[in-house]
Amino acid sequence: MTAELPAPVAKPRFESGFLTPYAFITPALLVMLGGLLYPVIMAFYLSFYDWEIGRDLEDAPFVGMTNFARMMTDPQVWEVLWVTIRFGFWTITIEMTLGVALALLLEKPIRGASVFRTIFILPLMVSPVVVGLIWRYLFDARIGWINYYLGAWFGIEPQVWLGDAQLAFFAIVFTDIWQWTPFIFIIVIAGLQALPSEVVEASTIDGANWYQQIFLVKLPMIKSILVIALLMRLIDVFRGMEVMLIMTGGGPGRSTELLSLHIYNRAFETQQLGYASAISVLLIAIVFGISTLILTMANPMKSRADV
Amino acid sequence: MNNDAFRQLWHYTALIILAAMALAPIWVMIATSFKDDILVQDGTPLWFFFVPTLDNYEYILTRGKFDRYLTNSIIVACASTIMTLLLGGFCAYALARTDFRGRNLMANSTLMVRMVPPAVLAVPAFAFVMLSGVNNDLMVLTFLYTALNLPFAIWLLFGFYKQIPVELEEAAIVDGASPLQVFFRVLLPLMKSGYAVAAIFTFRIAWNEFILALLLTGRKTRTLPVGAAGFITDTGVEWGRIMAMGTLIVIPPLLFTFFAARQIIAGMTAGAVKG
Amino acid sequence: MNSIFKAGTVAIGALLLSTGAAFANPYEKYEGTTIVVSWPALSHFNKAEELIEEFTEETGIEVEVDALQYLKLRDRQLLEMSKDEGEYDIVSWVVMWKGEYVSKGLLTPLSQFYTMGSLVDPSYDINDIADGYLQNGGIVGGHKGYMPGKSGAMYGVPFGAETSILAYRKDIFEEQGIDVPATYDELRAAMAKLGEAGIPAMTSRGKTGHQVTAGWLLHLAPLGGKIFDDEWNPVINSPEAVEAAQVMREIAQTGPKGIPTFGFGEASAAFLQGDAAMYLDTLKIAAMSRDPKLSKVDGKVGFALHPVGSRCGSETGGFAMGIPANSQNKEAAFLFIQYMTSKKGDQRMVELGGDPIRISTLQNNADKFPDYSVVAEQLPCADPDWRPLIPEWNELNIDVLGQALTEVITTDKPIQPIMDAANEKARAIMEREGYYLWQ
Repeated sequence: MTAELPAPVAKPRFESGFLTPYAFITPALLVMLGGLLYPVIMAFYLSFYDWEIGRDLEDAPFVGMTNFARMMTDPQVWEVLWVTIRFGFWTITIEMTLGVALALLLEKPIRGASVFRTIFILPLMVSPVVVGLIWRYLFDARIGWINYYLGAWFGIEPQVWLGDAQLAFFAIVFTDIWQWTPFIFIIVIAGLQALPSEVVEASTIDGANWYQQIFLVKLPMIKSILVIALLMRLIDVFRGMEVMLIMTGGGPGRSTELLSLHIYNRAFETQQLGYASAISVLLIAIVFGISTLILTMANPMKSRADV
Repeated sequence: MNNDAFRQLWHYTALIILAAMALAPIWVMIATSFKDDILVQDGTPLWFFFVPTLDNYEYILTRGKFDRYLTNSIIVACASTIMTLLLGGFCAYALARTDFRGRNLMANSTLMVRMVPPAVLAVPAFAFVMLSGVNNDLMVLTFLYTALNLPFAIWLLFGFYKQIPVELEEAAIVDGASPLQVFFRVLLPLMKSGYAVAAIFTFRIAWNEFILALLLTGRKTRTLPVGAAGFITDTGVEWGRIMAMGTLIVIPPLLFTFFAARQIIAGMTAGAVKG
Repeated sequence: MNSIFKAGTVAIGALLLSTGAAFANPYEKYEGTTIVVSWPALSHFNKAEELIEEFTEETGIEVEVDALQYLKLRDRQLLEMSKDEGEYDIVSWVVMWKGEYVSKGLLTPLSQFYTMGSLVDPSYDINDIADGYLQNGGIVGGHKGYMPGKSGAMYGVPFGAETSILAYRKDIFEEQGIDVPATYDELRAAMAKLGEAGIPAMTSRGKTGHQVTAGWLLHLAPLGGKIFDDEWNPVINSPEAVEAAQVMREIAQTGPKGIPTFGFGEASAAFLQGDAAMYLDTLKIAAMSRDPKLSKVDGKVGFALHPVGSRCGSETGGFAMGIPANSQNKEAAFLFIQYMTSKKGDQRMVELGGDPIRISTLQNNADKFPDYSVVAEQLPCADPDWRPLIPEWNELNIDVLGQALTEVITTDKPIQPIMDAANEKARAIMEREGYYLWQ
């Protein structure tokens, strides 16, 4: 929050007209205020009411802090929060490890690298709804291809992937890894290839072996990229829900219900809009905390040197 | 075999395996979209060799309301992309070039609102549409997508503006150009690639977005992803049709990827992919 | 000149028409009107689209259908109905939403149309509609707010209404030497026997939330259980309720793979694709099993009454159609509902592969479809208090029971504690909503 922007390069003269920068900024500012800040404030406001779809807001009883009190003692909220944290832990750990490892293995520029890079970003471009559909099909208990190959190659009995708490959780983690490991891979490899070659060469001459090179030279130099990537993925964990909505709807039980999906289900499956808003406030607080962390660690508008 | 050739060999092998893993599920979707229901329900994976049928495409293109969904998706995605580039471009320019009161606050809060989860927007946006009686869902959706995309666009364009030497503008100002003229005549041509990156990301997010579209659009205003989810029916999932719909939805993002992979990677490394 | 003259003639012609007011038929006044119908993407309703075409041809009233997955209907309908001008002229609701729609003032009472002689078809005969269907789907405000009673008023007409019957595979039963179960003991024995033989016994809905609860409710009523006692105390941990949960667990263990992921579509598909020997749920399965596009088991299916536990008690559910309060074309909408549910419309629905709502239609077609006489016999057992159609049911259904029963069918934990905990939660909800203030 305290990050300082670099001073503008120069002071163009037209800026003496005091209003000009504001005129350039105001439209974007208004849209963001209206489209993002207003809903957030509205969520706060609604969380004090017991409001249902189809009723006038004026008729909704004011319930004060009841929704928040209920949230604090609601085991279901803590359950989905725990699901979200576990989901975040497994996906981010595996994606970061895999992505970084692959990037280190394959960092040397070779012919045709751009073709491969194009292929790797494809999963990222696919709509989350479509990702959910594809994997729901692959994990299907009866006609899914995963069951078929597990049976044909390893003799494993068909599993009800999306109908068992552990297996369903595994399925959504797996899907996320498929979609997002390439992201880590691409940005890490970009970072590695931008490293000044003299530094790496110097360390070789100094007699550093490969793991010293990786852990003492390369990774520390791309540390800020790694941190940003990690925090971005962390934010996504709290933002994502579409894939799970399509694949499992959050079930069985709440085993694949991330916090965002829980808010959606509370609001639109069981119609507790006020209570869902209270949980939204919790989500906003969490995301706000992580964002602050990102900003204090690295404000991309402050310095773009490491990209 | 010398060491270097060996390294290259396994390097390529590894890349090919990874590429296959990235592509396989997408190919499964495309292949399934060309299968009839008997092949799909059979459950034996057929990757390439089966009798393809266009029935699924014929169905969604003629029997469904594909044209309506497509039109809506194009309207929303294009309108919000244009809005985002226009407003975001102005804003980024001002942030990059001038110093004014509240500049740091503006920059920081831009990054903050970038993180707002769509789930948080869902209830208030639904409430707004219901209570205000606004009857233009596409406009509401365009507005929300613009808001969601602006922070990332500003962030991205800010970086591109920073790379343009300020002397160019100063020269134009000396020649008597107004700020708007400077913006459109001098900067815009140099910013082409920056805007291209921002456009791809903005379009993609608006094109793919599901939750808000699901909640806010009605019979006439549904977008493609919402239409696709409609094939999850009460008599089961119509896999062939839904995969055909999925394939059609994926086409524009895939085209972007093939023609602008470098820009996309530039955008990604500049920050993050999701808006 | 010419064009003015033309315009004049047209105007005079129109004037003559309107002053005459002598319409050739009751529909003429609404010719060219477009009404929009919101209903589920279920087989019965898909078939009805053909009847709609006939309706348009006959009446000149255009109809646009917005078919959605049935559990997605409510958000959409509520949103449209609470706007000043909504999109829908007719909404089709699952019976459990009727109380909510009415209490929020979103529906038009149908009595206002029945007082208009120009609209009402004298040969309609509302008494011919199965009473259970009409009460359950269309009447709101009676006993407990959702059951028959003097204080009730009519808001909808059943269309796609249902009760539950047992469908079984005659070939499998014969091959395994199993008699058609008439009681729950026999049913459970049959399931066990099929399970031992390695044949998936009975399919069921089991997806977390509404679906698994619906599966369990089917067994709760015949086993003698209820959700609430007469004072609104939840009794979902009673021995009967626990037994129903035990039956659900046995079904999941002996049935086709994947029951915990099955919604309505998957559960019926399992039976129709030949992956299960029994289906105990809506009567809709009968018509679906005769549809070659959906079914591989046509001709092999037998039908029987819903097995009896301590009493006979089958489902009351399905859909009813009504008119939103903010519809702009209410009278045309009424004519549509009347047409679709008339004797002729009901018979056409049967011919198109849908399900009838009228006793006469059941009787007239009993020779053709073996399930119709079963349904006619089953209807008196349909339990109007099968589930409490109160606004709080939503949360109980999805958040409380939907979660607890998932635990029942996906784990081996003892059932009683699971249902005890669910009962506590249910009680807390009822307390919160003020149901105990009268005590």
